[in-house]
Amino acid sequence: MKKSGVDTEAVIIIPVYNEAEVVASVVNSVLKHFKYVICINDGSRDASSEEIKKTGAYLIEHPINMGQGAALQTGIEFARQLPVKYFVTFDADGQHRISDVHTMIKKIKKGDFDIILGSRFLGETIGISASKRILLKLAIWFSKTTTGLSLTDTHNGLRVFNKKVADNIQITQPDMTHASEILEIVADKKYKYVEIPVTIEYTDYSRRKGQSIVNAVNIGFDTLLRKVSK
Amino acid sequence: MIPVVQIVVIGAALFLVANVLGRQTYAARAWKKIALSFLAGAMVIAVLFPDLTNQIAHFVGVGRGADLLLYGLTIAFITYALNDYLRGQRDRDALYRLARRVAILEANKRYDI
Repeated sequence: MKKSGVDTEAVIIIPVYNEAEVVASVVNSVLKHFKYVICINDGSRDASSEEIKKTGAYLIEHPINMGQGAALQTGIEFARQLPVKYFVTFDADGQHRISDVHTMIKKIKKGDFDIILGSRFLGETIGISASKRILLKLAIWFSKTTTGLSLTDTHNGLRVFNKKVADNIQITQPDMTHASEILEIVADKKYKYVEIPVTIEYTDYSRRKGQSIVNAVNIGFDTLLRKVSK
Repeated sequence: MIPVVQIVVIGAALFLVANVLGRQTYAARAWKKIALSFLAGAMVIAVLFPDLTNQIAHFVGVGRGADLLLYGLTIAFITYALNDYLRGQRDRDALYRLARRVAILEANKRYDI
């Protein structure tokens, strides 16, 4: 908890790909609040690895670039070995707020839910483009149709889940499709879930790094293919 | 009346797609080989007897033999493309699991876990 010092019950999992500009400052600000921080360097071609080494976070190096979903799975598998109860997925580009993480951990500690999902549409979104807003709305409809989950935001990188989820989760979609896949897992295993509002700050940096809109076609195709193939 | 070819082509397309998407059993793989041999055989016959494709085409209700070949080729290509895409995903999955294992073992060594 914030007031009583550093949280030792939760681990923050941060996939990193070419984030040398910002990663050290993001990680350092997280380390002020959490003892366990894991960075997965997903084969960055810049100085991300060196930047992470300057901080006190665990660093796992992917030998090749495998995508954000694959990096999350690696982080989760490494985190299973740590003495923690709660697992947080967090973006390296500084768009998430630590205060939101505290709120989510407080919520999961009550034990009513297995996974807490951040939603930027329940909360405040700063600097989002109109096209991105429409796309994210479409993603909600798509997700409801394919998983049956009622959500307001399906592609939010901020999630908190308990050990039960962490021990069982197996993300196979290496790229951005993993967000849909995680929801499929939640629906499939009937995990108790809830969304809570979080603030996402779209800075110039995160906008530049964000995924392109046409990638939605790839995500949709792979999700449908996964539905029909065994 | 629905031309026979529509039923045959659509049926074949659905069967092949279902086959590709389904479990990779020995039977499924065997069927793929049989289909491939059949296709190769049909190709040889089509070259040796150019009129035959026209006759078959008329019989099943297609205008020209060339159209029939085009349908067959399209089905074969889609099956191939889908098969290749799925195999690519399976191979990638295996590679990534291996890379993940390496990354975690290396990190464990570094952090003495």
